[in-house]
Amino acid sequence: MSNSADLERGYRRVLACYPKAFRQENEEEILGVLMDTAEEGQQRVGLAEAAALVRGALRMRLRPGPGRPPRTVLAAVRLMCIGATVELAALVTMVATAGSLKAAVLARNPAQWHTALLILTTKEVAAPIGVALWLWLAWANGRGHDWARLIFTWFFGVLTVSLLAALAQHAVVYAPADLAALTALWLVALASMVLIFSKASSPYYRQQSAQQIQAAG
Amino acid sequence: MQEATFLILTALADGSQHGYGIITEVEQISDGRVRLRAGTLYTALDRLRADGLVTVDREEIVDNRLRRYYRLTPAGTEVLAAEAARMQANAHAAMARLNPLGAVT
Repeated sequence: MSNSADLERGYRRVLACYPKAFRQENEEEILGVLMDTAEEGQQRVGLAEAAALVRGALRMRLRPGPGRPPRTVLAAVRLMCIGATVELAALVTMVATAGSLKAAVLARNPAQWHTALLILTTKEVAAPIGVALWLWLAWANGRGHDWARLIFTWFFGVLTVSLLAALAQHAVVYAPADLAALTALWLVALASMVLIFSKASSPYYRQQSAQQIQAAG
Repeated sequence: MQEATFLILTALADGSQHGYGIITEVEQISDGRVRLRAGTLYTALDRLRADGLVTVDREEIVDNRLRRYYRLTPAGTEVLAAEAARMQANAHAAMARLNPLGAVT
């Protein structure tokens, strides 16, 4: 009995990723199906089950409201999700190798290790923010918010500057892998920029923002 | 149309089903190849309902839990029939080219 209560609580936590309106309508029902499909005596949330739920929640949150976006915008949204994934992968690698990385920096540049440590820490803090920013911009662009294009342009600018900075001073801490990740991110952002500012996308942003102004007024 | 979507519509073709029922039906139809996860099923159902292909038939409370039965709408039946016909035509073309002499193996 307590086993299934634990399992139910676990699934409820995963279901919290879904939009509120969807949860109010479907949470109890989905929970019933999850409990029905659970193994006998299962206590922990199944990994594949949880992955499918999170994927579904992401898809639902990124799915725009009335008026479907054109393909170019959908492709840009997908690219931004890839951007978030690359950023996340970079973060995981960074955290996993932080110890050896710091040791290497210390060995090579004893005089500059304070600066190196500072840069490393900054990057570790910046990466989760980057992941969140990618996802948020994917959501906002999918919804056709005009400001999302502006913020993405600014974000692209920041990426460009950090790529240029990395290229200029790669002697200090920028490992080739780090540079490669940054280049990949910059390319993904560049492709997204082209897509969201393309001729096929612009009418969608105009139409969505006109609707939002109407709804507000 | 994605295979999961096609199988969900097929599971509902001969009558209404609740969530767990759809999962077991889909497993049967696909010979055990496709085991739908709850997250996949409900994301697909949400989309199918929004598109007007599937609707809620009725609701029941079983063991203190809400159980919703889903059924195809006329539009859903139409879409499924069109998709099945398209797949059949493709399969037919493939078979015909694999056996140009009409030999049935």
